[in-house]
Amino acid sequence: MSSHKRHAAADRDRDRDRDRDRGSDGELGPHGAVPPTLPHFAHITRYWDRVHRRFAAKLLPGEYYVTTAGEQIVTVLGSCVSACVRDRRLGIGGMNHFMLPLAASKGASSWGTAVSAATRYGSEAMERLINDILKLGGRRESLEFKLVGGGKVLAGIAIDIGVRNIEFVRKYVADEGFSVAGQDLGDIYPRKVHYSPDTGKLRVQKLTAVRNKTLFERERHYLEVLDSETVGNDIELF
Amino acid sequence: MAQLIMTVDDSASMREMVRATLQSAGYEVIEAIDGQEALEYARENTCDLVIADVNMPRMDGITLVSELRALPHYRLTPLLLLTTESSQEKKLEGKRAGATGWIVKPFNPERLLATMARVL
Repeated sequence: MSSHKRHAAADRDRDRDRDRDRGSDGELGPHGAVPPTLPHFAHITRYWDRVHRRFAAKLLPGEYYVTTAGEQIVTVLGSCVSACVRDRRLGIGGMNHFMLPLAASKGASSWGTAVSAATRYGSEAMERLINDILKLGGRRESLEFKLVGGGKVLAGIAIDIGVRNIEFVRKYVADEGFSVAGQDLGDIYPRKVHYSPDTGKLRVQKLTAVRNKTLFERERHYLEVLDSETVGNDIELF
Repeated sequence: MAQLIMTVDDSASMREMVRATLQSAGYEVIEAIDGQEALEYARENTCDLVIADVNMPRMDGITLVSELRALPHYRLTPLLLLTTESSQEKKLEGKRAGATGWIVKPFNPERLLATMARVL
């Protein structure tokens, strides 16, 4: 296991322990096992939430998850945004958690804003989520979008990256011809978000007092990783 | 005369990004919103290269590649798949269908143009 993966795993274990201490989740569910999911979601942390009496998936920055099994999806957002997308006819859907890389230097200048590294990264985050829902039987015309996050929470960064993330996700949804059924965007607070794709319910708690710095450290780390990567490199000629 | 590239994607944002990239390099661009529309155009018209998404409604990109390869005037046309899919199984499906290459999103504009120049 790489040290990076080990850190992420340690992060997850810590989260799980903390949530358990607070009584928001804990033992395995009534049937002892989490519902089946797609193989590429095997790394997502899932647990039985005994308060809401259903399984929940917990997203870290850069992750996304789609469920057909009535699970809740939970995350904590600072300046990142999440699109909550579901097929309202089938009650299946999911959520992503992302931000745009800053990366003004990364191949952006000569191609203009339409093809900046930031836009390409954000579009991919949206497209993966939407494609998975469509693959599971969703239809474009039945998709419902709710948008959340983009708070101005990170101190010491000159530009307001929350606003940038909000502008991107709104434009993406509009350009793709979808409308926004609900939103909770901007402001200065981090948010804890619970989304239920089966009902479409989005519950947002504004965190007016953040007890520890984990959220900010994670977002900073995520942003650093994004900015150190060159966006788009994988090409294979047959 | 500028070379004509057909870009096939159900996402308007993705079509816009690909079109902006290609036009900046002097190519002419025609857009199709899915494999079906692309195939209908291709039955009556030639183009110099096709860049297609994989996951699309009505007709996916891999089916499109097979259908295009069955047309005599597309037997040798470079067909590139541009997709969020990166699994070896999917790539192999694309290769078997007759695709020229596989590009994983998010794409890098410089590398996309360099790849096109190699296969055109």
